[in-house]
Amino acid sequence: MTQLILFNVFNGLIVGAFYALMALGLSLILNLSGVINFAHGGFLAIGGYLAYALIPFVGFWGALLIAPFLTAFLGLIVERLLIRRLYGRDPLYSLLLTFGLAYIFEDSTRFIWGAQSVPFQVPDWLMQPLSSHYFFLTGYRLFMVLLVAAAVAALFLILTRSRLGIRIRAGTLDLETVSVLGVNVRILRTLNFGLGIYLAGLAGVLAAGMLGLSPTIGTSLIMPSFVAIIVGGLGSLPGTLLGGLLIGVASGITTVFAPSATEAIIYVMMGLVLLIRPRGLLGEEGRVQ
Amino acid sequence: MDREPPQRSRRRTVLKAGLAVGAAQLAGPFIISARGEEPVKIGLDNPLTGTYAAVGKNELIGCQYAVEQINAKGGILGRHVELLVEDSTSGDSSTAVQKARKLIDRDKVNFLVGNVNSALAVAMAGVAYEKGVFMMDPGGHTDAITGTGCHWNVFRICNTTQTEANAVAGTLVKDYGKKFYYITPDYAFGHTLEAGMIKAVAALGGTRVGGALTPLGTTDFSSYLIAAEAAKPDVIIFLVQGDDQVNALKQAVQFGLEKRVHLAGAQGELEPLEGLPPEARIGTWVFEWYWNQPGVPHVAEFVAAIKKKTGRVPTARTWFGFAGTWSCALAANGAKSLEAVKMAKFLQGYHLPPEVALMPDGAYFRAGQNQLIGDLYVGNAQAHGSAPDDLFKVTKVVKGTDVAGTLEETGCKMTWPA
Repeated sequence: MTQLILFNVFNGLIVGAFYALMALGLSLILNLSGVINFAHGGFLAIGGYLAYALIPFVGFWGALLIAPFLTAFLGLIVERLLIRRLYGRDPLYSLLLTFGLAYIFEDSTRFIWGAQSVPFQVPDWLMQPLSSHYFFLTGYRLFMVLLVAAAVAALFLILTRSRLGIRIRAGTLDLETVSVLGVNVRILRTLNFGLGIYLAGLAGVLAAGMLGLSPTIGTSLIMPSFVAIIVGGLGSLPGTLLGGLLIGVASGITTVFAPSATEAIIYVMMGLVLLIRPRGLLGEEGRVQ
Repeated sequence: MDREPPQRSRRRTVLKAGLAVGAAQLAGPFIISARGEEPVKIGLDNPLTGTYAAVGKNELIGCQYAVEQINAKGGILGRHVELLVEDSTSGDSSTAVQKARKLIDRDKVNFLVGNVNSALAVAMAGVAYEKGVFMMDPGGHTDAITGTGCHWNVFRICNTTQTEANAVAGTLVKDYGKKFYYITPDYAFGHTLEAGMIKAVAALGGTRVGGALTPLGTTDFSSYLIAAEAAKPDVIIFLVQGDDQVNALKQAVQFGLEKRVHLAGAQGELEPLEGLPPEARIGTWVFEWYWNQPGVPHVAEFVAAIKKKTGRVPTARTWFGFAGTWSCALAANGAKSLEAVKMAKFLQGYHLPPEVALMPDGAYFRAGQNQLIGDLYVGNAQAHGSAPDDLFKVTKVVKGTDVAGTLEETGCKMTWPA
């Protein structure tokens, strides 16, 4: 039993790292622009499908490199043409827009690649378990965790060391002042949106290697990401990371005792956090970090 | 002017967003063909989105092809046939019921057809019974539909879960062992299929060493697979379907579980196999129809026609839709009436013609249950076959009459209108 729980804790961390990657992109966009991007799952699916289309030409590694950038490019277009118009309005406007976009993206992938799952292949040597005892630790999953860690480290470096990142963080605190100080807020928001969608695209390629790639792949992954943000604390990127890992571990442990409640547990956690600490575990009341 | 809303209102908005997810779309029906003065209407209320979108789409293709054939052969009672299609969603029974009511009340359909999801099929059957409308369930498997919850006006093409379990249990116990672990979708279909498997396996000396109920639409199966491996079974039975089955099998193979334990399922379909990379096309399954049936009359023509239409071979789902729609037409033309009671009475014990049955031993609607009894195909998934779409190797054709149990065992007690 102890071993089973430990296995599930470990496995939960792997799953949670993936949720965190998706949630970080969502959180970036939400923090700076106030847009609750319901189309994030759609961008994730597009990232996976673009990689699927690219693999015959550039191989898995090439696709992993290119597909997230193409997804981010699509994100930039969407931001310039649609989302930009709704900045400063009630968040419900952008919520409705992205909600509609999510449907459009899902149906577009269904129209182009079909409703059925498509076989997405990653290199054989990545698909083997590293040891027969820890069979759930495959090369691919380890690679995924390392990549998530690298992406998170890079994101935090960008946010703390680069001029763009410092402006994004400043804008998150007080966009008006940043604007008055001469920063082009429009470009800042566009680049920030692109960065968030890049993370969605990256998560999409990684998910396609692990799960079946179907048009609904994004829809089924978006809710845990929202929960990760709420549990971790709205406005806090470290909180989002923590939230993702926590829900991964919680649902893993729940499998041992009540398998049918693994999905419910993350919403129970969200409910408890909202009741006891409404700003989330690392969120600060009244302001965003 | 940019102005950031306070964080509190954004948090509320995030929460409100969840509510919006449940909002169902109630757009008008998508009419496939509309000809003639007074067409006979068939209303298809089936998933076009969500987990079951792929299988729902294939049932739709089967329905469309049947309608084309029926119209080419003179229609129903000399009238053209029109197919009205509604998206029931994959798991929202309230949407399926709303769409069923709309099809019946507003569009005045003569036949209601659906649903892939058993829970939705049960809900639709309730509406059809209340309204006295003839209903055909092409692909919702839960036993109750033609069992304890049977109705005089509700017919079914696909098998009961108990029939499927009975068909495959013998092979599994004989060849792979007696300890079974179940990964089961947490709704009507999964529950009855697991109960059916437990019963069928127990009769042969097998036992259940554990199981996990998984929510419909589960993506990550890793924790369930860890629990399954820990129970040390001889066979892990995957009862999840559609995209869930793809996710579960793909992860099981990534974990190398197929080298430690036999992987199998009571209901296999071509759609998930097509979505899997070759190395994950493994395990023992029962198919309810398969396209590669050398020597069976009319199958090759059907396969060629669907391939011409869609570029792919038909799956069991395509055949469910095809046979279901044709059964509606055969019932009306045979009864020479569109009255549900007369059509339902006509189909009691009715044998489908070979060009619709498309099975070696034919298929018939068992009287007193309204359940189609045909052949089942037990075999193994294969990475590569005789053709790119040949992903299943049939090892045994099981006659439905041998595994469907008796009418009494189904628990169906039908009350006909006076």
